[in-house]
Amino acid sequence: MEELYRKIPCRESQLNDLFNLFGDYDEPLPCSLFLSGNMGTGKTLCLTSVLRYLGYKHVIIDCIECYTIKIICETILCGLNTTEIDIKCESILDFTNAINRINLNITQYQPVVLIFDRAERLRSMDQSIISAFLRLRELCNLNICTVFVTHLVYDSFYFKMGVREPIKIYFSNYNKEELFKIIFLNKESFTHHILKSHDVDYDVKIELEKPELFANFLNAFLSVFYRPCRDLIELQYMARVNFVKYCEPIIKNEIQSQDLSKLWRHISPILKTSLELLYLRLSSTQLSNPSPGKENSDNIESYNFESTLKEELTCTKTFAQSFELPYYAKFLLIAAYLASYNPPKEDKRLFMKNHGKQRKRLQQVKAKAKINEKLNTQLGPKVFTLDRLLAIFYAILEEKIGLTSNLLAQIATLVELKLIAGSKEIDLDTAKYKCIVGYDFISAVAQTVSFNVRKYLYDFM
Amino acid sequence: MVVSGENTVSVQIKLIRKYLKLKIMEDNVTFRSNSSHHQERAHVYDLIKRSIANGESHSALMIGPRGCGKTTLVNSVLSQISKEVDVENDAIIVKLNGLIHHDDKVALKSITAQMKLENVVGDRVFGTFAENLSFLLSCLQSGADRQCRSMVFILEEFDMFCHSGRTQTLLYNLFDITHSKQAPMCVLGITNRIDVMELLEKRVKSRFSHRHIYLFPYEDLEAEARGNKPKSPLECCKQILVFLLSVPISLAGDKVDVVKKKTGRSKKKSISNEQPSELEEDLLPDEVVKRCNINMEQFKALDSDFLNDWNSHVQSLLDDERVVDSLEKMCYYTVNEQIFRNILFQIVSKLGTNKPYIDATDLVSIIDKTVTPEHRVMLLQSLSILELSLVIAMKHGMEIFDGQPMNFEMILHRYTKFANANSSTQTVPRPVILKAFEHLQALEIVLPVKSTDSIYNAADTTASRVQKEYKLYTLAVPIEDINEAVKNFKALPTEISHWYNNSVD
Repeated sequence: MEELYRKIPCRESQLNDLFNLFGDYDEPLPCSLFLSGNMGTGKTLCLTSVLRYLGYKHVIIDCIECYTIKIICETILCGLNTTEIDIKCESILDFTNAINRINLNITQYQPVVLIFDRAERLRSMDQSIISAFLRLRELCNLNICTVFVTHLVYDSFYFKMGVREPIKIYFSNYNKEELFKIIFLNKESFTHHILKSHDVDYDVKIELEKPELFANFLNAFLSVFYRPCRDLIELQYMARVNFVKYCEPIIKNEIQSQDLSKLWRHISPILKTSLELLYLRLSSTQLSNPSPGKENSDNIESYNFESTLKEELTCTKTFAQSFELPYYAKFLLIAAYLASYNPPKEDKRLFMKNHGKQRKRLQQVKAKAKINEKLNTQLGPKVFTLDRLLAIFYAILEEKIGLTSNLLAQIATLVELKLIAGSKEIDLDTAKYKCIVGYDFISAVAQTVSFNVRKYLYDFM
Repeated sequence: MVVSGENTVSVQIKLIRKYLKLKIMEDNVTFRSNSSHHQERAHVYDLIKRSIANGESHSALMIGPRGCGKTTLVNSVLSQISKEVDVENDAIIVKLNGLIHHDDKVALKSITAQMKLENVVGDRVFGTFAENLSFLLSCLQSGADRQCRSMVFILEEFDMFCHSGRTQTLLYNLFDITHSKQAPMCVLGITNRIDVMELLEKRVKSRFSHRHIYLFPYEDLEAEARGNKPKSPLECCKQILVFLLSVPISLAGDKVDVVKKKTGRSKKKSISNEQPSELEEDLLPDEVVKRCNINMEQFKALDSDFLNDWNSHVQSLLDDERVVDSLEKMCYYTVNEQIFRNILFQIVSKLGTNKPYIDATDLVSIIDKTVTPEHRVMLLQSLSILELSLVIAMKHGMEIFDGQPMNFEMILHRYTKFANANSSTQTVPRPVILKAFEHLQALEIVLPVKSTDSIYNAADTTASRVQKEYKLYTLAVPIEDINEAVKNFKALPTEISHWYNNSVD
């Protein structure tokens, strides 16, 4: 018991609740429990370790895997008795019958717990299923308890007719100190991770294994990361990545491990940059293969990686360049973007040389300022016809080229690359298109052909 | 017998805990003598008794909100009848639950099984539902040694049998038989929908006897008829509390010490004068004991003195002002007895060697947690600062545009406006913000428009052609909850709370 509490820190009250509710082996279980709380707050961990400690018979049903009632029932029955191999179960009725048959084999009042993990998925099935599982205890003669584990609050389960209310337990988020405590528990694995990838001298190894070093790192780390991210899993992952960086100068004997301020100066820019990679999970294999032509220097410094990586992400520039589109295709794409985000009636003003002067009336200016929120770039792309696309294309292209089949094939290529969404229409007159790339992408493309997109966007006029 | 030593106390408390848990969770048979539904119970009893003993046919509907004791009432009637007449040979009781048997085919299969006619039916193929059912009934008439056995159908969640769209074949046939002389049959529907009659087909409705039995919690027809004022919900709650938490003295096995036991009883009487019915405590009904496979012998180890202490302790709980206050609070929120039982179960499960008595503060906190769970506020508070900022940005945007739905770009626009104005906020790139927004989506704090269901079963038929940045969302949490969450957010940066309060610009 002590061990369990030590292994799962900061969840004492929830563990106590669970232990109390499950009680002793020969006592009746509650009808149903409902565990909710944000992702990564230890709901499933607490539940399964309590049940394993108590030694109760339990079956865990992941509602993503078990997406129909048939699979759910068969999984439960398989989990409950290993002797019967051929289990067929089509509906809840078969299930209750089968479970009552199990009851005949069980002589005493044995507790059985069914755990529905990610129970929010149950809502997509028939309503009667979750209601039936909520009162499963009444429907069969077993000492059975159903536990629903989900990240949603109970109110998000809209029951039309009301159900038998479960007992609800809430798992609150860990705060900063608790996160520190939990990540600190795994410090061995962190240092082990470093020692595996680097071969270090003995005395450096001693230094690295000091808990103070890791504690210092963790403090610095959490001070940066706690604000945008509270997800334990993500934080643990980011800490692992960054701890390697933190220790690098120590391994290279550039900074003494006691020199905290120097280490902080070393790590803070790294943390800042890796903050921008939060949740994105760029694996290290991707790191070692930067796009060709980008890596010109031989020395692979961590700084360099960070900066290139940052570039790769923040402006989607390399992503845009990685397509290596032909010259005209780039213009076609830009034209498509402009067609999607400009109102058609403004085309004349935007793209014609002699469009006449438009008087800006005060009222108009005001109206425009007011609907700042409803900019075209914010409302999403509109559809356009092929005619309009080609008209804009010729307007923004300075040289004169003929309309060849090659050019039209380029449009098909853009659709194929999912840069433009197009209907499968063969008739070119009725085909409607839509540009589905963002502004960042387009401006990166436009830069390569030295074209100013902003100049032609109605929103920015 | 004197309770001595830690060990004995722990044994005693464990037995009490087990007994109370059994009583709270498993006992759905005992009809409380102080309950207010005596008239209704007599009615149901009369119906079932008549159809079993006299071979009459009846149909009735029991209507009442959840957790007001409909099933318990029926169970207690059945158990009483089973003691009085030979149910085994005279009647067949078929229980169907709308949650399981809402499909007619499934229901019929279950009826066959409950009538123990699987062998007779065998591989026979029937043309219609009615044919099948009448075959089953004819089996009863000819096959059994008696002339005819009565049937009692108990349909729980009756509204689930009235499926709209499909025909109500099962109900039609059941009600039809109550009018024919084929077999004596009693059909009793239990539901919590007051509009259940509107769900019935015309042909079903015309065959139903229109006998409604309404059950409302804490409503006492008898008392009203006598001109008395009905008991307040609080009084009922107190009675339930005492009833469910007290342990019958007769459970204790130490009959040797009769004198002592008697004094114990009298002592108790002095305490609980105003509840005389409470003394005739009944043990767990036999059905429950049998179903749970428990050995009642083990409770013989209980000490009567200890039980007396315990019962007076339960009584004394009601004198505690905090307990009474929170019970009253609970009565304002819910009258569902199942919820109350859940609360009591949680309290009982907290008992242990180092906590041999019920703590009033525990009771208060559990009631608070159950009736006013602030889970949504807590969920909002568990968000990271970035996610909360997005929620605030969305709230502001919806205030400006009169609750029109927003897409990610609009929210991002508002957020960046705020972030640029405050240099102290750490800026994060767009993909990270998008991820945070998707997290909000997964938690269903924001919901996509047009599909009120969750993101998982939204088949995306309407919005499939829109990129995710431009999909429209609405805020799915009430403004009050956000207010509450922001007010009590731990370590919230001041500029955010300032931004929240000085909203619209």
